[in-house]
Amino acid sequence: MFRKLLSIIVVVSLVAGMLLPLTAFAQDNATCATAQDSYTIGFANLTEDIVFTQLVRDGILSAAEEAGNVEVVLADNRLDGATALANADNFIAQGVDGVIEFQTDEAFGNVIMSRFRREGIPVIAIDIPMPGATFFGADNYNAGRLAGEALAAWVNENWDGDVDALLVLELPQSGPIPAARMQGQIEGLQDNLTVPVAEDMIFLLDSKNTQEESFQVVSDILPTIPDAEHIVAVTINDGTALGVIAAAEAAGRADQIMVVGQGADPSGQEAMLAENSRYLGATGYFAENYGSYLIPAMLDLLECRPVPPAIYVDHVFINKDNLCEYYGESWPDACPVS
Amino acid sequence: MNTTVAAERSRSQPLRLAALLKGERLTTLNLFATFILICLIFASQSDFFLTLDNFLNVGRTLGVVGIVSIGMTMVLISGGVDLSVGSVAALSGVVTSILWLQADVPLGLATVIGLGACVLVGFINGFFVAVMRINPLITTLASFSIVRGLAFVLSSGQTNQLSNPAFQFLGRGDVVGIPASLLLMIALFAAAFVVMHFTQFGRNLYAIGGSAEASRLAGIAVRRHLLIVYTLSGLLSGLAGIVIASQLASSAPRAAVGLEFTVIAAVVLGGTSLSGGKGTLIGTLVGVFILRVLDNGLVQTRVSSFYQDVVSGSVLLLAVGFDQIRQKLAAAVKDRS
Repeated sequence: MFRKLLSIIVVVSLVAGMLLPLTAFAQDNATCATAQDSYTIGFANLTEDIVFTQLVRDGILSAAEEAGNVEVVLADNRLDGATALANADNFIAQGVDGVIEFQTDEAFGNVIMSRFRREGIPVIAIDIPMPGATFFGADNYNAGRLAGEALAAWVNENWDGDVDALLVLELPQSGPIPAARMQGQIEGLQDNLTVPVAEDMIFLLDSKNTQEESFQVVSDILPTIPDAEHIVAVTINDGTALGVIAAAEAAGRADQIMVVGQGADPSGQEAMLAENSRYLGATGYFAENYGSYLIPAMLDLLECRPVPPAIYVDHVFINKDNLCEYYGESWPDACPVS
Repeated sequence: MNTTVAAERSRSQPLRLAALLKGERLTTLNLFATFILICLIFASQSDFFLTLDNFLNVGRTLGVVGIVSIGMTMVLISGGVDLSVGSVAALSGVVTSILWLQADVPLGLATVIGLGACVLVGFINGFFVAVMRINPLITTLASFSIVRGLAFVLSSGQTNQLSNPAFQFLGRGDVVGIPASLLLMIALFAAAFVVMHFTQFGRNLYAIGGSAEASRLAGIAVRRHLLIVYTLSGLLSGLAGIVIASQLASSAPRAAVGLEFTVIAAVVLGGTSLSGGKGTLIGTLVGVFILRVLDNGLVQTRVSSFYQDVVSGSVLLLAVGFDQIRQKLAAAVKDRS
């Protein structure tokens, strides 16, 4: 009798133990005010004018389609804080359930977030942090460091670790995020070179984020280092890197330079694949994959599941050797299907 | 008799002084002096500034602004303005690269079609300004936006590589050691100089800029002249876009962003009036050199890029301000006489 009673107690406990989490989940879902069967998510893109952000948008749309219960409302922040604020108001008026914000102006972050907080709308901010929003984006310092380390390894192998000048094509007007990227590249290079580059041979040049400006400033600086035979350049993105290479080629000094960048967008990939390329490679940000992180994270937020305060992209240094592994489909001639 | 001559002479002296002060030659001389001064300052700060290498580099990198500024000078002299030059420059590279890379059109023909697209944009600008009589600022602001948008639509926002050595010659090659783009710019300046100073067309442009209505009454075909001048500006902007694409071995819809401001700064620095009817191509050429040498010297002397913008703006303001003071002084001397 006692055994029977004990068995019943054990079975009931086991069943209760199995049902308890389900009950808790049901309870969670019941108390999760934002949980629904389907969702409308607003995505305000940084700009629609550049390849990187177009890839981010496409990735988000494709992840939403895959999720099956998400409709995405699009807006273009046009690299402007005031436009981002107007878009935020539009999202609220349209009754979106959650928002993915990709906007450049930190000063507007507070205002935008106060509107969304008032409405109880969860927000994920891409690349530029906004107070109270879950951060998603590049691990800028480490992304930079990957490129710096790769460049140092190449220099150690091909130039016996000897570098005469380091050109740093930065973007000072855009604040701490690109600065972290540049710092990572410089430290990744300097920490791994056999002989670090002397301070007075490090040239900080404002790329203004354009290929032309990068071409011009490098053209201006090359005549001041006529004896430099081993020049390396770290750059803010692929376009800037291509400007550096073009300047070195125009000055007849292409064989004296090696360049790394950030982004690994299609124009950068093409340059890496070129014969005798002076573009060693670039840290990949995989903008096309952003959506596969962002949509599940937003669903977690909306369904009250725990989400870390910051989610980082997994970066990889892309070069001629591993390009086919990541972007093989884009370059069928260079990456034959095995 | 002697007293009369002396009195005449003393009366004409202030007028001569006023004429001298007001003269365009003095503006150009001032600019030359400013240019030499800037060169001397940088030469004292950098051992590499006055080297052949650097001279060639400056020559290689000022062609774009120089070529566009020829058209802009003519447009400003005619009393208008063209804000679409940067967008048009981007369009020529984009059209050329798409035709060559995606439609397999031979590169030479693709370049001609690219330039043709820019001529068309210039013609449309001219049509709206001259025939529809829409303010040139509004017209070219609209085309600035439309053309840039078109460049993005056509290219899907992508940068295209133009890795053809023959195509790269214009931006990177040289002829007997002189950069090809510099030679092209000088040839275009020389041709434009002849047109502006030795042809009826050039003289008419000055007259139209001074007063379009008076020119019309005097029998000048104002509309035709304006159509030609905007079309020419479109062509020169397109040519500059080809030079950019050739230098960078790529075309991008974001190319030449802000080019219109640099070009207007160079032209105004060169003494061309924003209200039309006044200006010289030699002044513009010196203005182009001053702005480029300033950028070059500031980079070489490692001045922070933030200060570079401050210095460039200040030089423009000082040069134009000084010129205004000189002209007011001339007017005052003339009034007193």
